[in-house]
This record gives sequence, C-alpha cells and structure tokens, in this order.
Amino acid sequence: MKTINNPIFHFFLAALTVVCLPLFLRSGVLASEILIFGLAVAACNLLLGFTGLLSFGQGIFFGVGSYVAGILLTRYQIPVPLMLLLSVVLGALIAVAVGWLSIRRQGVYFVMLTLAFSQFFFFLAYSFSGLTGGDNGILDVPRPVIAGFDFTNLWSYYWFVAVIFLAVFALMLRTTQSTFGRTLSAIRENEARASAVGFPVRAFKIAAFAISGAVTALAGALHAMLIGVAPLSSIEYHTSEIILIMTIIGGSGNLFASLLGAGTYMLLADVLSTIWPRWLLLLGVALIVVALFMQRGLWGLIETLVSHITATSKRTPNAATERPLHRQADGGKA
Amino acid sequence: MTYLFQIFNGIGIGMLYFLLAVGLSVIFGLLQFVNFAHGAFYLLGAYFTYDLVERGYSFWVAMPLAAIMVMALAALTEIVLLRRIYKLPHTFHILVTVGLALIIQEMTIIVWGPLGGNVPPPEGLNGVIIVGDFIYPEYRLFVIAFTAVLAVGLWWVLEGTRIGAIVRAGSESSENTALLGYNTLRINSAVFGLGAGLAGLAGALAAPIRGVEPFMGLEALGIAFVVVVIGGMGSYTGALLAGILVGVTQSVMASLWPEGARLMIYLGMALVIVAMPRGLLGRA
Repeated sequence: MKTINNPIFHFFLAALTVVCLPLFLRSGVLASEILIFGLAVAACNLLLGFTGLLSFGQGIFFGVGSYVAGILLTRYQIPVPLMLLLSVVLGALIAVAVGWLSIRRQGVYFVMLTLAFSQFFFFLAYSFSGLTGGDNGILDVPRPVIAGFDFTNLWSYYWFVAVIFLAVFALMLRTTQSTFGRTLSAIRENEARASAVGFPVRAFKIAAFAISGAVTALAGALHAMLIGVAPLSSIEYHTSEIILIMTIIGGSGNLFASLLGAGTYMLLADVLSTIWPRWLLLLGVALIVVALFMQRGLWGLIETLVSHITATSKRTPNAATERPLHRQADGGKA
Repeated sequence: MTYLFQIFNGIGIGMLYFLLAVGLSVIFGLLQFVNFAHGAFYLLGAYFTYDLVERGYSFWVAMPLAAIMVMALAALTEIVLLRRIYKLPHTFHILVTVGLALIIQEMTIIVWGPLGGNVPPPEGLNGVIIVGDFIYPEYRLFVIAFTAVLAVGLWWVLEGTRIGAIVRAGSESSENTALLGYNTLRINSAVFGLGAGLAGLAGALAAPIRGVEPFMGLEALGIAFVVVVIGGMGSYTGALLAGILVGVTQSVMASLWPEGARLMIYLGMALVIVAMPRGLLGRA
C-alpha cells in the first residue's frame, strides 16, 4: 500500500497516462481535453480533498482563463507564453476575491455562496457582451506557434498541453507534500485545532483558492486554444458542475485520482453522448451510485482492490501488519 | 408610474422566490441537508401544470394538483433514496441531489422536448386592472395575494400549531423527538415533501408568467440560494424580505439594463455578504 500512495509513483502514473493516451485515442481533441480537465480537476481537488472546501465555482476560473486566451490572442496578438502567465495571474486574483468572500461562511453556506458566485460571473460575462462576445463567445482563437515550433496541428498541440500538464502536475504534487500542503490537510481534519495551534486558517484557505484558481484558469486558456473558441459555456454553472463531479468520481485523496476522474468522465461522455443525447440522465444515476456505494471514488476502488490482492497473495504475518496501515490511510477521508 | 409597475412585478416574482427559499429552508432546518434538486422540483411543478393545462384541465385544477404531485414524488424520493444518505458528509448530499436534479431535468426533456412552451393565464384572470393610468395584469395581482395568504398560513402552521412544534423539535434534536414517541422517519418524509412541494407550487404559479423550459430549474436554484444567503437561513421573515428585495431588484433593473438584471441580484448578494456575513436576519 505504501507504493500506491507515494507521490513519485503518482507522477509516474501521470506521465505514463500522457504517453499512452495518443496510443489508444484517435481524437487529439479528446486526449488534450483529458489532460486539460485533469489540471482543472486536480485544482478542484486541492480545495476539496486537501483543504476540505467544496467549491461550486471552479467554472468561474476556467471561464476567466478561456476569455483571457480569447481576448488577448484575437484582439491584441499577445505572445502565448505571456497570455498564459496573465491568465494564471488573473485566475489567482479572482479566486482570491471569490475565496475571501465565500469563506466568510462555512459548510453548506460556503457551497451555496460558491454556486451563487458562479452565477454572478456567468451573468457578468453574459451582460458585457462587448468584451466576451455574449452568447456567441469569442471565435477563431488560434493555437500557438512559439519560437518556430508550430503547435497548430492537433497532435502537436497535444504535446504542448502535455508538457505544461506534467510541469504543473509536478508542482502541485510538491505543493501537497510541502509544509503548506500539510497545513491545508490539518485544516481539513480539524479547523478549530489548526486555528488554536496558531495557523492563520483564513489566509491558508485563500492561498489554496489562489493556487486552485490559477491552475484552473490555465486549463481554461489551454482549452480555448484547443477548441478555437472561448464560449460562454466555459463560465457556465455546468462547467463548475462537471469539474466537481470528475473530482468526486476520481476520488479526493490524491492528485492522480483527479486525472483518473477527468479521463473516465471524458471517455464516458465521448462514448455515451454519441449513443444517446440524453446521457446526462445516466450521469445522474452514476452520481447517486457513487455516493451510495463508492464514496472514495475510483481511486478508493483501486486501493481496495490492491489491498485485497496483496492480502490474498501473501498469506504471511506481513499481511496482518499491512491491514491497519491501510485503514489509517482511509480513516482520514471516510 | 412605470416604476410602480416594475415594483409590483418585482413583488410578485419575489413572493415566488420566497416560496422557493422557504421550502429550501424548511428542509435544511429539519434534515441539515441542502437540496440541490430544489430547482428540479420547481421545474416539475411548472411542467406538470403545463401538461395538465395542455390536456384541457382548468388552471385552477392543474396548479394545486401539480404541487401535490411534486410533493408526493418528493416524499417518495425521500423514502426510497434520501433517508439512506443523511448520515454521510454533506459532499454526498450534494452529489446525490445534483444527480437527482440531472435525472429530473433530462426526463423533462425526454417527455416534453427541449423547447418548452407557454401556459395561458387562467380564465377569469386573463384581463388587466386599470386604476387611473396604472394598468396591471390580473393574474400577477392574484399571485401576490395568493402567496401572501399562503405565507401567513405557513407561518401559522410552523409557529402556531402542534405539527409545527413537532417539526421544530425535530430540527433541535431528532433523537429526543423520537423518544417522545413521534415517528421522526415519517416527519422527515413529510417535511421533505412539504419543502419540495412549495418549490413545485412556485413553479406552477410561475408557469403562466414566464412559460416553461427545461433549464428554468437551475435558474431557480441559484436564486433560492441567493435569497437564503441574503435573508439568513432558517429565518422566515428574512426569506420574505430577501425574496421581495431580489424580485424588485430584478424587475426594476430589467427596465433599466435588461442584460444586467440578474447580474445585479448576484452583485447585491455579494454586497450583503461583505457587510453582514450572516445575512440580513440570520440567527446562527
């Protein structure tokens, strides 16, 4: 069990996924979307899994990133690296504002506030159609050409996304392992105690929001370049909803689980939506099943399977010591 | 004079928001459970009314029947599904009710199509009232009067009757209420049915005003949250005040800056949160 909870192993799995996606998928769009949403979901997980904040507002940051890409690339010809940097900064700033206001309330009130703010930003984008293109969004967002490297082709763009994905994923893994990340977990486990020990809990929560917003906005900008549009739907409630759903389906214990959740959701959506336009009905049923029977998500399922296999393969006294370790790992998230 | 019209409109819409928010609040108060499917029950109320009126029933039959159907359906959902998840952390309450909302929304599209439709104002109330140079649709006046009577009735039931006392006791301590010999399981189902039924009734009343379409549920959910956040969860007068405030803001802004009307609602909420984190009349 120790290996499968090791962050280096998680990075290895993520890298393996990045290499394997082009081998199994024919659509470069789908493969890139899995990585892009992988980032957004990992960012959501940083709030939900590591800090204990269930945010229904992740679509705000995704949409902001998407609009930054759309506006800066089509109207001002700003170089792509600078544009990505600006989207990250703006995403972080807006996340600080949303976080600062939302953490004034706790528990379910907090969740309701994040949802209300996601509506606020949706209507903001809708009302200022001069800036955002309103219902039509911003069309003809180009894919990048950087220093002579042409990423306009779908698969070459995939590798552009893949490099950014792995770099950010590694950074996020380091963040969760750092003292900062441990403190976030302490806040999740027992906020009153973390506060009593002397941690400025609110500042930590806002910082978690800032990181989450920055990464999600980056994902949004990458997505706008991928599909060539910065649509109104990027900032809609539905985007917040699917990011959250992918997070919970994957499992909120670690960051690779987020890529797992994003991948599973995108693949299922791709298959089911071609078969049946009303496939969201099945998604609704799936959510209820996850809540009733699979509360630790897909990653939890894998952990259980692995522990069963190791427990049956070596029926030695070792297996007995292995069990409590596993429980401990679970105890936190139950 | 134009503002008077907008303000009246706003009060009418606001009373519907109040019904939505009180339903949400009652469910939360007893079950400690945020119902993300609340908008979906509002959607169902509207579509049941639409369907019954299309089949030739009078609105006066369709409207209460739709509310009762939503109530029964919600109580059934509570018995079959929701009572199994109260003990889980609230992440899973949200997951299950979001799932439920998706199922209801997609079923609505399967049954009635993606386009929506209109419900004509009921017979007897399809005219206008003229006072001086003030002209106002009769149906909207009826909505204001009807919901006002309902609000008083509901307040009396919750605060002044034995049933209300049992419900309030249940929200203080479910265990102690059960020890006194009350069937708390049955009370839970009934209260969930009542709360969702109020959303259904709001939907039924809204149908002749705004028509029906499959995504009206989500909009209603967002608004109900705003009203609850502004008014303060668990505060009856807070919900009334906030509901009317939100309705009037939306309605007046709609004549000044149509695209930004709903934006102003959410902006207002942000301002209230900055100034008074507990809402206008929130207790805890």
